[in-house]
Parts: sequence; structure tokens; C-alpha cells
Amino acid sequence: MSAATFEAAVANALALESERRMRRATRAAVWAVAVVAVLWFTAAQIGLNPAALVKGVPFMVDFFSRMFPPDLSHLLLLGRATVETVQIAVWGTLIAVMLSIPFALLGARNTTPHPLVFHATRLFLNALRAINELVFALIFVAAVGLGPFAGVLAIALHATGMLAKFCAEEVEGADRGPIEAMQATGAGRMQVILFGIVPQVIPAFVSYSVYRFDVSIRAATILGLVGAGGLGFSLIKTMKLFKYHETATCILVIFLLVFVSDWICARMRSRIL
Amino acid sequence: MMVPAGHAVEPSLSIRGLSKTYAGGVQALNNVNINVAPGEFLVILGPSGAGKSTLLRCVNRLVEPSAGEIFHNGAKITGRRRGLRAIRRQFGMVFQQFNLVKRLSVLTNVLTGRLAYRSIWRSLVYSFPEADKCIAIECLARVNMDHKAFQRADTLSGGEQQRVAIARALAQQPKVILADEPVASLDPKIARQVLSYLREAAQELGITVLCNLHQVEYAREFAERVVGMSHGSVVFEGSSLELTDDILHRIYYREPGEEEKEEA
Repeated sequence: MSAATFEAAVANALALESERRMRRATRAAVWAVAVVAVLWFTAAQIGLNPAALVKGVPFMVDFFSRMFPPDLSHLLLLGRATVETVQIAVWGTLIAVMLSIPFALLGARNTTPHPLVFHATRLFLNALRAINELVFALIFVAAVGLGPFAGVLAIALHATGMLAKFCAEEVEGADRGPIEAMQATGAGRMQVILFGIVPQVIPAFVSYSVYRFDVSIRAATILGLVGAGGLGFSLIKTMKLFKYHETATCILVIFLLVFVSDWICARMRSRIL
Repeated sequence: MMVPAGHAVEPSLSIRGLSKTYAGGVQALNNVNINVAPGEFLVILGPSGAGKSTLLRCVNRLVEPSAGEIFHNGAKITGRRRGLRAIRRQFGMVFQQFNLVKRLSVLTNVLTGRLAYRSIWRSLVYSFPEADKCIAIECLARVNMDHKAFQRADTLSGGEQQRVAIARALAQQPKVILADEPVASLDPKIARQVLSYLREAAQELGITVLCNLHQVEYAREFAERVVGMSHGSVVFEGSSLELTDDILHRIYYREPGEEEKEEA
């Protein structure tokens, strides 16, 4: 090709490029205006009001000053509630892990026995995730009575929704090659799953489970608000009795618990992946 | 038994009028007829997209043919879904991308070749009987990989992985091995080594091999007989010595539709 042809090609590409950039810039501007308009309207609707916040500062200061100093003598009494919180999280997550394995296989396109089962499972899992742990806890407190068992069930159901969905997506993303190789040996459906898919998804599934345990700890700290056991119950009780110094201790313990669990879980996950 | 006229021995595999059109309308195979003698090392030669892969996958029914029949030792193996596992068990498969389960050990990968012989209950606890382990280790020894039995599959080089994949196919104690571009992702030296292992094991055990290749040199070196494919049709059948420039041109550069009368 001659130099003239190259020059023409370069000029042509540059013209195209600037045209594309113009079009993209126009589109971005239109979107920006639309987004800002919607946000402005929304702020007005929900009463976003910085002035009210500023006016509220003295009340907040007053509230925190009543909490200070935390009543550390209350710390011993919270030991039992803290252990219970962890116990709720452990059992809730464990049940969820066990439930989510079959649901994940039913809810993954490449392992489901029938497309209808796939859609039904995904719908069910979405419903589990749509309902907050606190809402589940309200239902289970009514069903099995006040106490940690209701909390365990609440966490188990909500966590199943999340873990099974993540796991199903992991199963769908599994490399087709080994799966096809297992099928070619004449292995049965379950054997293909056990040898072709499970080894591929195990690390991610364990990592999700550990992460979900961390989330469960945080959820378990507030389930007591509706009477489903754990630290949340002490929190609401002391608040209702205006024992703010003790409330502060509860918050401190919750903070420590979440901090420690986050640290441990992060370390575990980094060792798995 | 149905023995096609003109053949003294009953073919190990007899492919008759095989066609495959995929859901998107792509015709991958068009009336393919091939007979494969028992114990033969048959190379199917052709460019990418000639339908070689589809042909092998129709044999073990990873792909369902649209028309035509396949007979193995005189018994029809196409059509019904019942007994599919027992059919697949007799066909070992070797893939271009090796397709080992990366996180499992070399030995476990080879043991998966025994899955079709074992119950699901045993598989649930990832356990295999002693007899299967003996078979697996013997197969590993055939490709000289027994010294790495307990290593994880993803720690091996490409050539080593393919040797393990051959051992997995051998562990099925198959009658036929279907090798789909087994050396396409390996360098020439390793490729020859892998093909030698495959040919040697197949010869010793009397296994028929259908091996897809796109490189002419390997076909010349390893094939007892060559089937040339182009655009879903067989355009050549004969000894590798007959692979003249003219015939290679017909395999690699033929336009679809061209010369179709000639081959009929």
C-alpha cells in the first residue's frame, strides 16, 4: 500500500473516532441531566433537610452524653447474650449451608432437572432474600416463641436465599470441559455433578459461607429487637428502661463482636481463595 | 450381524449416512459414511469447522445426530436414550483442552474413568474400590505418569495433562478411543510424544482409535488410514501415503458444494 492510502485510512479513522466521541458525550450529558432531576425531586419528597440535621445536633449530643460513660459493670451480664449471638449465627449459617446445596443444584440451568424447577427455585430463593431477617424473626417468634431458636430459623432462611443463589451462579459458571469429559465416561447425572462440578465450585462456596457467617453475626446482634435472642434483646431492654449507660456497653460489645468476626472471616477467606 | 459387502472383517464402527444440523441451521455433517476396522488407528483430517468434532461427538452421543446411524460391533448405538451410559463407557474420549478436573489429584482424575462401572452411593463419598485403583495406576503407568499420581492435576504441564487424560480414557477399558484434536494445544515435540503414547497403548490393548487432527505431518506419521473431511463431508479415504498435494487441496481449500458429485 502506498503512503497516500495509509494517510487516507488514518484520516478516515480519526474522523470516525471524533464523531463517536461526540455522540457519547451528548448521551452522557442527557443522562446526567435526567439523573440530577430525579435526585432533586426525590430529595424534596423524602424531606431531605440539612437544616433539621443541624438543629438536631444538640439532642444527639444530649443522648450520647447520657450514655457516657458506659457502665462496664454490665459487661459481665452481657457475656451470656454475646455467646448466644454467636450461637445463633453459627447454627443459622450452618443450616443455610446445608439447605443451599440442593437448592443451588435445582436452581442452576446446567444441573436443574427441568426448566420449570429452575424458575420455581429461583423465584423461591428471591422470595427468601426479599424478606429481611427481622421480618422472618417476627414470624418465627410468633410460631416457635420468644428466644434464640426463632433467630436461628430467621437467619437460616434468609441466608439460604443468598447462599443458594450465589452457589447456583457458581455452578452455572463452571468450566464446561471437565463436565463434558465426565459425561463422556458414561458417568450418571449425580456423578457428573460430584466429580465435574463440585470440585470447581467448592472454594467459592466455602468463601461465600464464611462471608455469610460474618453477615449472620451482624444480623444476630439485632434480632433481639423483636425477641429472637442475642445482644439485641439487651440493647432494646436497657433502652426501654432508660439505662443508657448500659445501652452504651451493649453497643460497645456489638462493635467489638462485629469487628472481631470481620477480622477472622476476612483472614479465613483470604486463605481459601 | 450386518456386515457391509466387500469387508472381510466386521467393522468396529460403522457410520452410515450421518448428518447433523445444529439448532442455528449450521450443517456440520452431511451424509458421512465411514467404516473403521477393529484396532485401527484412523486419523480424521480436515480444517477447523470441517465437522470432525461433531462426528466424534455423535459417536458417544455428546451430540445427537439429525439423521443416519452408527453401529458398534454390529449393534446400533444411535437412536434410543436407554443404555446410553453403557454405550458411552465403551468409548473413551480425549479432548483438545485435556478437560481434567483441575482441583482433583491425577489419580482421582483417572479414576473418574471408572465412574460408569460404579454406583452413585459409592461416588457420594468419593471412594473407589481397590480394583479400580489398580486399573487407574496401570493406565497411568502406560503413559508414564504413575510417579505423579498424587499431584493435583493443575500442577502438570500441558503434555502431562493430556497423558493423564489418555490414562482416564484407558481406565474406562474402552473398545474405542475418540481423540478430538488431542495435540492442537501442544508444541510439536510434546505432540509427537503424546500421540506415540496414545498409539502404543491402543495397539497393546487392541483399542480402535479415531483421532481428529488438522496437521498433515502428524497424520502422515501416525495414521494407518486417513479420512479427509471438508465442510461436513468425507472428501478422501485412504492411506496416508496417498495424501498428494491435489488431495490436500481438496481437503483444505474446497469451497462448499464443489466436487460433491465426484465423491459420491
